[in-house]
Amino acid sequence: MASIHLQNIVKRYGGFVGVQNMSLDIADEEFLVLLGPSGCGKTTTMRMIAGLEEPTEGQIVIGGEVVNDIDARDRDVAMVFQGYALYPNMSIYENIRFPLRMRGIPASEHDARIRKAAEMVELGSFLDRKPGALSGGQRQRAALARAVVRQPQVFLMDEPLSNLDAKLRQSMRVQIKHMQRQLKVTTVYVTHDQIEAMTLADRIVIMNKGAIQQVGTPDEIYSDPANTFVAGFIGSPPMNLIQGTARDGRFTAPGISVPCPRFVHGQVTLGVRPEDCHVGGDNLQGQVYGVEPTGDVTYLTVLGGTNKIEVKAARDYRSDIDVAIGIAFDPAHLYFFDESGQRIRGAA
Amino acid sequence: MATARKSRGESRILRYLILGTWALVCLLPILWFLSIGFRPRTEVITPEPIYWPTFSLDAWRLLLSDWPIAKYLLNSVLAVGGSVVISLILGIPAAYALSRYEFRWREDIGFYILSTRMMAPAIVAVPIFFLFRSMGLLDTIWALMLIYAAVNLSLVIWIIRSYMLDIPKELEDAARTDGASDLRILWEIIIPACLPGIITAAVIAAIFAINEFLFTLLIASTANAYTMSVALANFTGGSDGIIYNAIALVSFIAFVPILILVILIQKHLSRGLTMGAVKG
Repeated sequence: MASIHLQNIVKRYGGFVGVQNMSLDIADEEFLVLLGPSGCGKTTTMRMIAGLEEPTEGQIVIGGEVVNDIDARDRDVAMVFQGYALYPNMSIYENIRFPLRMRGIPASEHDARIRKAAEMVELGSFLDRKPGALSGGQRQRAALARAVVRQPQVFLMDEPLSNLDAKLRQSMRVQIKHMQRQLKVTTVYVTHDQIEAMTLADRIVIMNKGAIQQVGTPDEIYSDPANTFVAGFIGSPPMNLIQGTARDGRFTAPGISVPCPRFVHGQVTLGVRPEDCHVGGDNLQGQVYGVEPTGDVTYLTVLGGTNKIEVKAARDYRSDIDVAIGIAFDPAHLYFFDESGQRIRGAA
Repeated sequence: MATARKSRGESRILRYLILGTWALVCLLPILWFLSIGFRPRTEVITPEPIYWPTFSLDAWRLLLSDWPIAKYLLNSVLAVGGSVVISLILGIPAAYALSRYEFRWREDIGFYILSTRMMAPAIVAVPIFFLFRSMGLLDTIWALMLIYAAVNLSLVIWIIRSYMLDIPKELEDAARTDGASDLRILWEIIIPACLPGIITAAVIAAIFAINEFLFTLLIASTANAYTMSVALANFTGGSDGIIYNAIALVSFIAFVPILILVILIQKHLSRGLTMGAVKG
């Protein structure tokens, strides 16, 4: 078990900056999720921790040891890949055994450890099969078993669930989280799926364009976003971001008028989550653009001026389009961002 | 329904008819030289076509009595087999390096290797002769192995390299984090994963080698190193003139090992020849 420290990590590819000056402390036994859109540098960061890529600048410390010059195969790190990366010519048993053989673990221990790892991911009866004879979910579980079998200091998981269908993803998510708690291994998990990030993480690191946008627990990230990027990335559907003008304690935009703190003024962006919008009120005056019942909740889109505002309405809410409607915003959950997209906070 | 089934049946008959005719067209040269091989010499060249030639084992007897045909066949098999082994031992690591490692002039080196194939072999024939003479390898199987391997190496490298490029890099990354060294990765992951490509390359190299004529003629001067392809030429000269029925029979004997090879590995070969194309 080990903590991981990234100190001023920079990764450049020629003129392109993949990761810019990233510093991060990952605690022992922590489940940390790197979240961001594709190309944001999250996978590059993980590959540098694995030793598959070298940082251009900065230090990587795993378990108190600087590992910059240590080859991937000598770092005690196990990785799970998006495409499973099972060795197609070997049976599942041999796949799980491969890291044990490579690391010189005595052959007498192999069988017991392989069976234990396979049991953990409920794959005990598939050990004789080749990867090609397994379903996507089974392959991913085999890849997990191969990662856990050698009891590494660190788990790295690179979008391990993104090739699976939605239902399977949910059950695998729970399985991964359970396993991580059980084994207490420091885990870094890369995803672009904010639901995965919210459900799995002890802490989330949100990245964009190679830079960290915010680090925090899922609750912090959700209820206290640092900028418009984080606000718009987290939440499903994401937070409504409305550009307008604040003056004398009131924010206005076409069709929208809400009170705001006096220190908010000028061209600002208002952020309000769909679940903090309620049918009936006068903060937003607009027309119904669309109604999407999902069973447990109904999503309502309201056209106010040129803005389309998402509202989470009651499950039985129904309406025709183009009907005039008024929406109230919960005044306790309004977020204001300045022109550069940074959150405007009370103390400022 | 009934008419649909009938027309489907008819189209099937038509399809077999077309395919059967085409197969016959393809097989005709083989049947033709087989029939020449088993007829007397007097019936080989005649002004009128002979539809039912006399069956004769003259050519067989000639081959077995006057020519060490088994020795030629053995030479061919040894030289070709040895050359394929040499080209794979050199070609697989080269293909791996060219497909995976980032280094300066990688593309240029790859192109240079391929360019050795673009030159007419006759240009280097004389230097090669002197080279092998100075090494004392003239008229030996070893020389044939080396020269066949040299001629085919570029092809082998390029075929295998294209397969290796298709192997997901994730597999190697996984093996590396699992603790495997580069050589282990090559041996346990890469080679098994591109086996169809390796087999394809080996078969193509074997076919080229078995048909190689110029360098063999240059290097071999006795039955020590004569292969089937050069032995054929022996039936065209001398006081007996051109012995067509013997040539036909030797051609057939030379053709059989390749046929057997291709049938044995047909599954891998067709997979190998199409796999790269589909993945694009």
